Amino acid sequence: MIPVRKSLISTAVCRGIFSILLFLLLWEFGSRSRHWLVLDEFEWLRHLLAMAGWEKKYLPWIGPIPAPSEVLKAWGGVIGDIGYWHSWYKSFSRVIGGFIAAMIIGIPFGLLLAVSRTAFGIGFPVFEVLRPIPPLAWVPASIIFWPTQEMSIVFVTFLGAFYTIVINVVGGARSIDLRYFQAAQSMGSSSWDIFRRIILPGTLPSIAVGSAVGMGITWEVVVAAEMISGGGSQVGGTSGGGLGFFIWNSYVGGSYEQIVVGMISIGIAGFISSELLRTLGKYSTPWLRLR
Amino acid sequence: MLDILKKTMPFQVVSEAMLSRIAELGQRVSYDKGAVIYDAGDGAGDVYIIVSGKIEHTLEPGVNARRPVQLLAAGDVFGWAALLEKFPHRLAKAVVTEPAEIIRINGDDLLRLLESDPDSGDVVMSRFATMITRDFTVPDLIAQMRAVHRKTHSQDIQGMNLTMYRMSLWLKSPRPYLMLIGFALFLGFWYLAVEVWKLPRFSQMPGLTVVIKEWLNPNPVYGLSIYTGEYYQHIWSSIWRVTQAFVLATLLGVPLGLFLGWSRKFKEFVFPVFETLRPIPILAWVPLAIVMFIATESAVIFLTFLASFFATALNTMLGVESIEESYVRAAYCLGAKRRQVFIHIIIPGALPFIFTGLQISIGVSWFSLVAAEMVSGQFGLGYVINTSYTMVRYPTIVIGMITLGIVGYVTSAAVRILGDYMMQWRVRELALGGQ
Repeated sequence: MIPVRKSLISTAVCRGIFSILLFLLLWEFGSRSRHWLVLDEFEWLRHLLAMAGWEKKYLPWIGPIPAPSEVLKAWGGVIGDIGYWHSWYKSFSRVIGGFIAAMIIGIPFGLLLAVSRTAFGIGFPVFEVLRPIPPLAWVPASIIFWPTQEMSIVFVTFLGAFYTIVINVVGGARSIDLRYFQAAQSMGSSSWDIFRRIILPGTLPSIAVGSAVGMGITWEVVVAAEMISGGGSQVGGTSGGGLGFFIWNSYVGGSYEQIVVGMISIGIAGFISSELLRTLGKYSTPWLRLR
Repeated sequence: MLDILKKTMPFQVVSEAMLSRIAELGQRVSYDKGAVIYDAGDGAGDVYIIVSGKIEHTLEPGVNARRPVQLLAAGDVFGWAALLEKFPHRLAKAVVTEPAEIIRINGDDLLRLLESDPDSGDVVMSRFATMITRDFTVPDLIAQMRAVHRKTHSQDIQGMNLTMYRMSLWLKSPRPYLMLIGFALFLGFWYLAVEVWKLPRFSQMPGLTVVIKEWLNPNPVYGLSIYTGEYYQHIWSSIWRVTQAFVLATLLGVPLGLFLGWSRKFKEFVFPVFETLRPIPILAWVPLAIVMFIATESAVIFLTFLASFFATALNTMLGVESIEESYVRAAYCLGAKRRQVFIHIIIPGALPFIFTGLQISIGVSWFSLVAAEMVSGQFGLGYVINTSYTMVRYPTIVIGMITLGIVGYVTSAAVRILGDYMMQWRVRELALGGQ
């Protein structure tokens, strides 16, 4: 019915661009309600809103948000600022630190649980009991525990990715077809061979998926941890750093445009790192590309 | 005959009146030495009670008895295969070794009689079960005991038996003991590291005994334990927020996801905006939410909602896209209208993914609720954790964390059970597929 066009200017792309532009336009329009809703021409709308219980002179919800044009202006203001890029660097280093720690500890741990029934019996129930506690609930405890604030943020970031990676590794290893093991055993493989030739490649796709998901969670957690530990207490100062702290600082300082700048920056940062991992995952599991 | 029945294991505790009615069913038979009463594989209709004489009872190897050969004497009962569900045939060979007097009772008649008085019937059957496990050493068979059917409870009894049986299997496997070892290691390390060895860094953490004492203390030192009303107020406000956000996210997210997956045009218009907003971490929305909603309560709910909304909508969309194209085509070929396709194919087809999405969504909503409560808000478990930190009530932090874990687990389990219940067809399908 619809011909598949692979050019850049396909209908899908046009529609996407159109809707994003529409979204921005509505946003601009809504947040400028401070300026136009006070005019006499919109008396009726004010009455309508007042009837719904809204007495303020701007639209509800969208009104207080800075308009895209103001955000863009603010972005232009900070883009040359070294502090802004320093926040990027800080957040990235924490995310990478926590994430790599989660990989280094989580993948062997998950494989151990998957390989040994005894280890699974001992370790998994405890793991399952700890897992429902959200990583952010660990923030205060980790601030008490770790000597520096940096380490506590990295620890919480680590927790965020750790659970996802372990669950994915265990699940991936368990979903390997039993017949592979039987075949390998009947042909006389040692258990090391089975581990290296079956379990490891068999879990690789789920490790890749788990890492990409874990990376997303890592960004969620790092922002929160920076806001809570850096923004919530007095210890932070400018030394706290990070994009989460950038947002919190902008909020405390009352520059709402910068909040949105920070949000978009984190969105971009998270997107880039997840995409990077996804590409890496595809690259490391070439046999899945054929399907 | 009554005296004999009273001596037997299954009928020992039955009332006099019932006993005489059972006795009425009985038939006295005598056997000579060497007579074979029945052999394994024969049809099983009757239950036998020995009045005098001796019987050699040999269970066939297939039933895995610990002691297959037994010599039975007066007061013993055999032929209980007549009371099993799956075995209308004999499982043993019974040979007379000393001339014997025996009472024979038809199994079906006996069950029918027991059904007329289900309460004592249950007692008789459960005593039969005990006898089979203890004297005949074949515990695996009791799960197949026929149930005394009563109008309402028959299912429960069977279910009970099954649960008991599974329970005993579980207790025999190494799993519960490994689990205990795991918890003992974890809690033991916590206790030793913090309170006994006082390792560096660990010594500042609240110890295991301190936390438990505080949690179960009627007069808590730091003001929060299971005896204080405030504790439940915090739990309740967290649950209430999550519920509101979750319901709202489901009501909006599921239809949005269905349309995204169903209509290509709709997806091409809406999905890019959706995907632009999604990578922004929920927590980055916190200040904006506080600005947007003047009341902190709605800001917290909004943040919680946002996280669940994305998860629900995305999974629903994937669910619709996972539906096989041929279903839709077949329906159109058979003359279905667009609306009918939507109701009868798209919605049920996406249901498994929707419930996966809901499970993710409830987990995510707790995640973001805690963050939102920590940053802004009064009451709630996240708030407890954060204020306990700032006010140096360290044991309360751990109490808050444990409570959060429990409450979070219970809510996700509830969603999972609901999902399994609503999709029994799928569970059955998976079971048939051997998964």
